[in-house]
Amino acid sequence: MTSQPNRLPTNGLIDRSTALSFRFDGKNFLGFKGDTLASALVANGVKLVGRSFKYHRPRGILTAGSEEPNALVELRSGARREPNTKATTAELYEGLEAASQNRWPSLNFDVMSVNQLFAPIFVAGFYYKTFMWPAKFWEAIYEPAIRRAAGLGRAAGVSDPDHYDKAWAHCDVVIAGSGPSGLAAALAAARCGARVILCEEDFALGGRLLADGGTIDGLPAAEWVTRAVAELEAMPDVRIMTRTTLFGVYDGGTYGAIERVNDHLPAPPEHQVRQRLWRIVAKRCVVAAGAIERPIVFAGNDTPGVMMASAMRSYINRYAATPARRIALFTNNEDGWRTAETAIAAGLQVAAVIDARPDVSPAHRSLASKGGFPVLHGSVSSVDGGKNGVRKISVALTGGARAEVEADGLAVSGGWNPAVGLTSYHRGRPKWRDDIAAFVPDGAPPGMVAAGAANGAFGLGACLREGFEAGAAAARDAGRSGSTGSMPVADDEAFSITPLWHVAGKGKAFVDQQHDVTASDVELAQREGFQSVEHLKRYTTLGMATDQGKTSNVAGLAIMAAVSGKSIPETGTTICRPPYVPVAIGAFAGHHRDENFHATRLTPSHHWATEQGAVFVDTGLWKRAQWYPRAGEKDWLESVTREVKAVRSGVGFCDVSTLGKIDVHGPDAGAFLDRVYINAFSSLAVGKARYGLMLREDGIVYDDGTTSRLAEDHYFLTTTTAKAGLVMQHLEFCRQVLFPELDVHLTSVSDQWAQFSIAGPSARKLLQQIVDESEDLSNEGFPFMGAREVKLRGGLKARLFRISFSGELAFEISVPARYGEAMARNLMIAGEPFGVTPYGTEALGVMRIEKGHVAGPELNGTTTAGDLGLGKMMSTKKDFIGRVMAGREALVAPNRQVVVGIKPIDKARRLRSGAHIIPKGETPGPDNDQGYVTSVCFSPVLDQWIGLGLVERGRERIGEIVRAHDPLRGEDYDVELCNPVFYDPDGGRQRG
Amino acid sequence: MADFFWNVRSPLDRALVAGPYGAQGDAGVTLTEVRNFDLVQVMARRGKADETAKAAQARFGVAAPETPKAVAAADATLIWSGPDQFLVLSKGGRYTVESLAPIFAGSASLSDQSHARALISVSGNKARAMLAKLSSIDLHPDVFTVGAGAATSMDHTSITLWRGGDRNGEAVFNLLVFATFAESLWHTMLDSAAEYGVTVSHSEDLA
Repeated sequence: MTSQPNRLPTNGLIDRSTALSFRFDGKNFLGFKGDTLASALVANGVKLVGRSFKYHRPRGILTAGSEEPNALVELRSGARREPNTKATTAELYEGLEAASQNRWPSLNFDVMSVNQLFAPIFVAGFYYKTFMWPAKFWEAIYEPAIRRAAGLGRAAGVSDPDHYDKAWAHCDVVIAGSGPSGLAAALAAARCGARVILCEEDFALGGRLLADGGTIDGLPAAEWVTRAVAELEAMPDVRIMTRTTLFGVYDGGTYGAIERVNDHLPAPPEHQVRQRLWRIVAKRCVVAAGAIERPIVFAGNDTPGVMMASAMRSYINRYAATPARRIALFTNNEDGWRTAETAIAAGLQVAAVIDARPDVSPAHRSLASKGGFPVLHGSVSSVDGGKNGVRKISVALTGGARAEVEADGLAVSGGWNPAVGLTSYHRGRPKWRDDIAAFVPDGAPPGMVAAGAANGAFGLGACLREGFEAGAAAARDAGRSGSTGSMPVADDEAFSITPLWHVAGKGKAFVDQQHDVTASDVELAQREGFQSVEHLKRYTTLGMATDQGKTSNVAGLAIMAAVSGKSIPETGTTICRPPYVPVAIGAFAGHHRDENFHATRLTPSHHWATEQGAVFVDTGLWKRAQWYPRAGEKDWLESVTREVKAVRSGVGFCDVSTLGKIDVHGPDAGAFLDRVYINAFSSLAVGKARYGLMLREDGIVYDDGTTSRLAEDHYFLTTTTAKAGLVMQHLEFCRQVLFPELDVHLTSVSDQWAQFSIAGPSARKLLQQIVDESEDLSNEGFPFMGAREVKLRGGLKARLFRISFSGELAFEISVPARYGEAMARNLMIAGEPFGVTPYGTEALGVMRIEKGHVAGPELNGTTTAGDLGLGKMMSTKKDFIGRVMAGREALVAPNRQVVVGIKPIDKARRLRSGAHIIPKGETPGPDNDQGYVTSVCFSPVLDQWIGLGLVERGRERIGEIVRAHDPLRGEDYDVELCNPVFYDPDGGRQRG
Repeated sequence: MADFFWNVRSPLDRALVAGPYGAQGDAGVTLTEVRNFDLVQVMARRGKADETAKAAQARFGVAAPETPKAVAAADATLIWSGPDQFLVLSKGGRYTVESLAPIFAGSASLSDQSHARALISVSGNKARAMLAKLSSIDLHPDVFTVGAGAATSMDHTSITLWRGGDRNGEAVFNLLVFATFAESLWHTMLDSAAEYGVTVSHSEDLA
């Protein structure tokens, strides 16, 4: 384990009493609590941390924040391996493991760096130009090969073991960023009494104050931050969220934020989540997200050791880690000089300051003479160095002469770009300000305002002022009227800049370091006509990587502006879209994964069915018992066939509680149902049930089910399982919007009743065991389609309906849902003498197909009542929804595809749904396609596969032999069109 | 002839395991299922809203809610469930659909929902933090005051949420969820509360 050769002996915001060991590329290192992985690597003198995306060039650490394009690592291992993690934001923890990316066999010796030799052909648009032919090679050969060679880290490839969750928060003012502007905004808003949420991406509060210090209210910045945070924390309605990035803004003042709750630990503690996705609802938002220092593009600007000037200050001041011993500074603005001051204060050598501006302030001149380093007016034209870092810097001096500077680190400052992301997410276009040579927010979403550096105010005094005023205004707008107290004050530093984007020179000059886009790629894009910034982005991939071009976009469009002879504002910016930083899909999924992917509904007898060994099927949200396998049964078909035979010869029961159930109350209930069903219900007698069919407004069948009249002003309506919610919505719409004059109420009672179908010749005998002896269940006392309340033995009341889906003598019985499980158990007891058999949805389906009843596959949103053979149900004596449109020519055309029975000629053949019906002797194809098989089953009664289908003029063609053509399964066989009622066509059994 | 026993079983009977759950130590969240209650939906008939309100006032001694809130009467809670309609929640057997029928005869339609919902009460000093994971409603003490209510959703599941009277100085949030969704939502609630430590219990009594 090595010591930390580049760690300064004192200062820094690290906890030197807590040393942390970590591994990078298999090598052991030490760092301190308070380090990021990047700062710990800097402290250990590690300069080379990755290989670039396309050319596999050696890369180091460029920044100290979430804008980092280069220092991406695979963090952790195994199932927790997390590719493309920014070393600059990854907090160091004991035992951290990280590996560099996109290199083989090692970071130091990377075979693919040979790509650099072919660099002249790997220009923008290379893939489009090169891998055009043959087209079929793209997916099979080119793309996989390119993906292997180019790219970033490797995904874990296995399920994420950690939990994520999502939460809502509400406040008056949400603030992005806890630098001087953000803290000032929070103080002002909170003192006014506002509910404040302060989001800070970093694990420490203070923003640039952590690195640049300063004096606020006469106190050292760190001291002021401590006091401000203490004041905020003492207020009950202030929530300070560190490790939390506000990444997006959505309609109605909703903001997205990602909290890295436990990313700073090896694994989340038990019961805790890894990350939490926040939806923050705020009346106002202050964006105090600061600014991002931008690079200058010159040859060799990606050499390890070239670093943003502000990042260098962060490493030295905040982390007490020195990126270099002898530092050169290349700046075009006043602020860059701070790095020279920092370096001198830390006892480092300054090799030279290369300033692109014509003048340097007297204060800085005197700093140079005191520090004994030259000030060179000009620009860095190239960097001599490699994977071991910077060695020498060539300078093109103003006036044409050249100079060389020996240094092992080069700090670069090209000015600052306000973080305009959040303010631009609703298509606000940032506007250009010449005085700071940067884009500032314009057209922010309603309720959002930028303050401080994010708004182009770079001086400390201005940041405090803008933040404080924005916070106070936001609180007032949110209706809070307390006193802001006094505003924190600090001096304003002067900011002067001479824009410089690109220094011409020999060698590759990188604009987008993460995607290896060079200045010459931008120039090539312009020559080839991709001048629009949106085209430039897509053609060169500039700004499309995980950093979303935070350090590269503005330089890229500035170079485009220069080569196309336009101004920067004329060239414009690309559209900004959230998220501001990458957000794990796991965080968006939260709890909703695996068995919790969606909510589930359980029937009242679910746990009883589980005890019985039922196999369940997901139908919508429901878990339904599909069949009940018994020992020795070899497959589902054997179980289902047994269940069907048991029902047809004895008695069985099935939980049908999943059907939608609606109470229809009120004096106009009958009139209402007359309008929503095609058949009449006002004429239905109390104590009777009727099958009803409802249409959509366009005349197509919507849903079906039985509806019973329980009292003069009370009907009990049932829907199909699939359409339960939709029918309720439809009926409420009819009630509230279409027929507000009717006095009727609808209440879902789907969950109130446990309902069981009891079917088979012994159904009455079974029921007689369970109902009170006073109840007459005889055919006369309780005829087919009867519906009434009955008393059960033991005193409970139930509703009994004599309806049949199976074609057998059958009843449906309803009890309040908490008695559902008891009902299932009691049916087993009562039915024991008759061999009662619970059956599932498969047997239910088999029996309905045998009986020719239509269901979901036939009520498919394209069929009319006539298609289903139910045309005669359409009342001619009343109006109803869908009546007029159902009369349209095409919906009553004689050649429509209608429901018909289908059975294979070869009785041993399995019929498959989806097979197309083709006339004998015709060639399969769209011209001869006459319909298809909708539902199939193996019929135990007929001892062969049978089905229902929708076939052109099907009812007129009973007995015709046609082809079932099934290209999906490669089958083609003869079938006979037949009566869809395969079983007991005269209905004697269900009436018996 | 066999004997039949009609045992009631709450929709959470299997899922609910009384005792501590999740993080150890002082539980931040208390989850209590209340099992023995009657719940009846009262819907004023056309033009009979005033008559319904009068009948409610006369029977319960409080005005039925006209906005999303819950009004506590001596022996029932009236919970808003829509324009001109409310739920009557009472201890099991106190106000059944049968016993309410004469009170609202001619003025309102009644629908029994006693078995259609599960009733869960959430309290503890982390109740709000836990509920924030499930609900988009602002539960700040100044915003969602005692008696505040909402017909809303949790975990894509329709619920009725209201704040009951404080217990031991702590806020109590009650929610009614459709019975067939109850077990699913219960697991989500446990998952959301686990990090705070949970005390799980059930009670026959409506507090």
